[in-house]
Amino acid sequence: MGFSFHRPDTIDAAISFAGVHGEDARFIAGGTDLIIQINRRRLAPRHLISLAGLGLDRISETSGEYVIGAMATHDAVVTYPGFQHELIALAEASAVIGGRQVRNIATVGGNIVNASPAADLVPVLLTLDAVVELRGPAGARSLPLDRFLVERGRTVRRPDEILTSVRFAKPPTASATAFLKAGRRKAMEISVICVAAHLVRGGKARIAVGAAASRTVRVRDAEALVERQGAGAFHEAGRLAAAEVTPIDDVRASARYRDLLVAALVERALASCAERIGKANP
Amino acid sequence: MTRQALDLTINGESHQLAVEPHWSLLHVLRRELGMTGTKENCLEAECGVCTVLLDGKAVNACILLAEQCRGRSIVTIEGLGDPEHLHPLQSAFIEHGAVQCGYCIPAMILTAKSFLDERRGHVPSEAEVREALSGTLCRCTGYQKIVEAVIAAARQLNSWPEEARRAS
Repeated sequence: MGFSFHRPDTIDAAISFAGVHGEDARFIAGGTDLIIQINRRRLAPRHLISLAGLGLDRISETSGEYVIGAMATHDAVVTYPGFQHELIALAEASAVIGGRQVRNIATVGGNIVNASPAADLVPVLLTLDAVVELRGPAGARSLPLDRFLVERGRTVRRPDEILTSVRFAKPPTASATAFLKAGRRKAMEISVICVAAHLVRGGKARIAVGAAASRTVRVRDAEALVERQGAGAFHEAGRLAAAEVTPIDDVRASARYRDLLVAALVERALASCAERIGKANP
Repeated sequence: MTRQALDLTINGESHQLAVEPHWSLLHVLRRELGMTGTKENCLEAECGVCTVLLDGKAVNACILLAEQCRGRSIVTIEGLGDPEHLHPLQSAFIEHGAVQCGYCIPAMILTAKSFLDERRGHVPSEAEVREALSGTLCRCTGYQKIVEAVIAAARQLNSWPEEARRAS
């Protein structure tokens, strides 16, 4: 195990350094997954390029949207005042990632770029139609998170591109989000299934399922049904969602159990959204 | 790999070190500085015995590179009170018999400190304490008395004047 550690002063310096070293270099955000992969000798980069100190750790809002810097920690998401009401699912997801020691280091950008199908924040961001911002040698580009993710461990990010932030529109007042996670125990657990939902009263419905298959997916048939039929269709939406995803069998759970979880958690997350909208808008 | 110069502030003291880039903060604390109060076990951020405070927040020193701590301030169990002047968490752990084998206790105390410091003036519920400590495992499974000790320490800290709390 041997790598050199670099702390570039600017984002552009980080990008050009990555361009020179190609596959030999890796960006390091919090490093809570990367360092473990290196220690297990699954990865052996020769250069680590730190993204700390480049001003990427801020969470900010404009009149129309929120922007989460890639280096913002999960702890920062949990405590951000803007994520305590309509967007509480962001805080709910970040709050169950690892223990607090991990949440104080692990970043939002890392959770996305790592492309783990069990990344808890990703389904929530998908339900918010989030857009990721990338910077590379040719400049900046942005694309929907849904198109950024390819499959387990793979995104469309090029090796010399940095994910700088993720952004999404502020939701209307009569809307809500919810995040639910099933694991084998309550804390410090990798999701067996995680589900996020986002409902706008009289408007759109978004539902995403993580940890079921090779990537986190939106379940569009279930969304369309809820948009057409509303609260009466939550149970059926759960059944449809389970039909839309093809869960894996693995050490954590069987495919059959995951199917049951998807149906139950989707229905529950939708019901939670409806209840939250009702409470906040009596 | 060549070593690089690294200044770390640990327990308020500045240390000039020469570190290999792949060294974790845990390695530097235990092997370079002999500060063995911070324990070494799973090395994958699962068990939490390596917990230290980085700029006041609990982190796993096993998966944090020493390089990532450049310019930041670290507190280990060696920096929290001494036998004559125990921190309220340390006193509470003793009073409640919260220490069995003792292996996880430095990490338990620092995890609890980071949690209590974030919510000054608030006495946490048992459920909140259990959640806060969930990243730090006790091999003796002696959680009940640990949780009771943390709640007692929170009460004690809340009764202190603000300046004393800030200095703790």
